[in-house]
Amino acid sequence: MSNAHERVEKNVGLMIVLTLIAVSFGGLAEIVPLFWQKATTEPLETLEPYSALEMEGRDIYIREGCHVCHTQMVRPLRAETERYGPYSVAGEDVWEHPFLWGSKRTGPDLARVGLRPITEQWHREHLRDPRQVVPESNMPAYPWLEKTPVDWTHTERKLRLFKDVFDVPYSEQDISEQLEKIEGEWADATEEDALVAYLLSLGQERKEVTP
Amino acid sequence: MSDFWSWFIIIIVALNLLGCAGLLLWNHQISPEEAAKETTGHSFDGIQERNAPLPRWWLFLFIGTLIFACIYLALYPGLGKFEGFLDWTSTSQYEKEVALVARQTDPLFEEFAKVPVEELAEYPEALAVGGRLFANNCAICHGSDARGAKGYPNLTDDDWLYGGQPEQILTSIAQGRQGMMPPMAAAVGNTDEAVRDMAIYVQSLSRPDLANEADKAAAIERAKPKFAVCAACHGPEGKGNQALGAPNLTDTTWLYGPRLEDIEVAIRQGRSGHMPKHEGLLSEEKIHVIAAYVYSLSNPPAQQ
Repeated sequence: MSNAHERVEKNVGLMIVLTLIAVSFGGLAEIVPLFWQKATTEPLETLEPYSALEMEGRDIYIREGCHVCHTQMVRPLRAETERYGPYSVAGEDVWEHPFLWGSKRTGPDLARVGLRPITEQWHREHLRDPRQVVPESNMPAYPWLEKTPVDWTHTERKLRLFKDVFDVPYSEQDISEQLEKIEGEWADATEEDALVAYLLSLGQERKEVTP
Repeated sequence: MSDFWSWFIIIIVALNLLGCAGLLLWNHQISPEEAAKETTGHSFDGIQERNAPLPRWWLFLFIGTLIFACIYLALYPGLGKFEGFLDWTSTSQYEKEVALVARQTDPLFEEFAKVPVEELAEYPEALAVGGRLFANNCAICHGSDARGAKGYPNLTDDDWLYGGQPEQILTSIAQGRQGMMPPMAAAVGNTDEAVRDMAIYVQSLSRPDLANEADKAAAIERAKPKFAVCAACHGPEGKGNQALGAPNLTDTTWLYGPRLEDIEVAIRQGRSGHMPKHEGLLSEEKIHVIAAYVYSLSNPPAQQ
């Protein structure tokens, strides 16, 4: 037995292989099966794909690092559902690439912010200067969003990427409708418009679930 | 979960546990000649590593974790489709927690709901509950101290847009309110001077001293006849109308600021403050308790 032990300890290649086998067990049992479970691969029936404006808003959310301080993950605990709304389920994140669950709540969770009785106007004032509406807030101000027009350069590619690679069910007609809106209704949209549209869309798929 | 994945997980878990147990047993046995050696033969700068078996307590800890794993997997879900003998799920734990708190708080809320708002505003327990509900649902706009912000009314000053009686507060919370001051620039003359004149006139309603300044007095004279279009909502004297949510312009409460520039913005662009409805988001009983809390802010309970 001591020989076998010694062989492992003195042979780095063999040790690496055995180590990989040892650490793979957890992932094999806990992660691999999820790729074939309906609960994690099928979207909720109520889930709606993002509009072009919301998708750009989401990218601004990522660019500005909102996910660093805000989670989007309501855990199934009464204190959380009481404060934020219905708890998160896997089926609502099937089209999220990348997902924005976050890992630290410096600010409140935002997964259900679109269901909260907060007006669009409040979101705008709050983004321009959080202290204007919440004096004790330590959130940074984002006043430039109001003045920066949305950059629509890559929007069509993004929509097609989500359709072709991530199987988000945009039809050709959906995409052309979105592109028309970019030319028309949203031609002058600012980054603030996009971000607010994204925030108001959060949680809509769980609207019917009363906590 | 399909049978395939269920068995896949069960086999992986079993292999893992058996592997750990096997490794432990394998390493536990030491041949007599091995055990007889004083040192392992390792030597570092003259320091030798003694040859001692794994301490017993440590070995038992390892065995303990294996036993724990078996008990855990029998009680809780972990082996594929097997749900465990406790029938535990995170959803059922959540639902039990919600039901438990509901059993504790529902009777309390029912009791509070029977008490009229004015009277409930004297109950310290109701105000404590109402304060927490306010913090979670109302403070985001009205402030954690309920003193509001620009565009969001102060709830502590006993000055009300839509009325401060319990019925009116309940309606404001449950149904929401929609302010609707239209842009008035065209109606007051459509020139920068006309708008400025009207702003000065509106300011003078709460500051009569402005009439002592010659240029302001002239502006007031010019704007006064045009105030008739404003009087439809704000009343001929500018005292407002709570049925419409038209603010009293003669007091010193300014929802959007007292400066001429603020008033001019209101005249040019109108104002449309929106209080969202909370019916459906909050139970009727909770709205009742919040109403009592809000009522108490400007009608403090008598000191005992």
